[in-house]
Amino acid sequence: MSNKVAIIASTGGLFDAYKVFNIATAAAASEKEVAIFFTFEGLNLIHKQAMYNLEMPAGKEHFAEGFEKAQVPNIPQLVEVAGELGVKFIACQMTMDIMGLSKEDFVTGIEVGGAVTFLEYAKDASPALTF
Amino acid sequence: MKVTKTLDAKGFACPMPIVKTKKAIDSINSGDVLEVLVTDKGALNDFAAWAKGGGHTILEQKEAAGVLTFYIQKA
Repeated sequence: MSNKVAIIASTGGLFDAYKVFNIATAAAASEKEVAIFFTFEGLNLIHKQAMYNLEMPAGKEHFAEGFEKAQVPNIPQLVEVAGELGVKFIACQMTMDIMGLSKEDFVTGIEVGGAVTFLEYAKDASPALTF
Repeated sequence: MKVTKTLDAKGFACPMPIVKTKKAIDSINSGDVLEVLVTDKGALNDFAAWAKGGGHTILEQKEAAGVLTFYIQKA
């Protein structure tokens, strides 16, 4: 059985962030090796400023109350927890070039890599998930 | 049953109960028992799956007034 979980984060809304980081932290807390490849809008999830202001899908803003009531951690907190648990963050170089972003625009500890970097990691991962 | 450590994770939503339990279990020795209190309803299935994955044993679990209590023996 593979002990690696590979996740692609390609969307950048608040719900997307929860889907990615909940699975990632749960896997890491279950002794799995976890890597997330952040590409296109997914880069929002680890962007120093953007991660504080991720948007809810249009028309779903009323769920803000539910998030508060359920005492769900916020995204920067989940990013920190993921880091503590050893989740590896790989930011897509190509997307960063297109968007004019540098490594300093992101939370500390990330790696920057291309698609092959992620594919090499993910080749024997199970499950591999895309969000 | 001798409890080595107690973790109060009441009020926390998924995935924090599991994250906190993982950290707590890392801090005790093999054979020691961790007591965990949670209110997250998902914990009922999550803890069973998590313990199985890590080889830990849930010696006992109970529910009272909306609080789930697990006694987990570290592998």
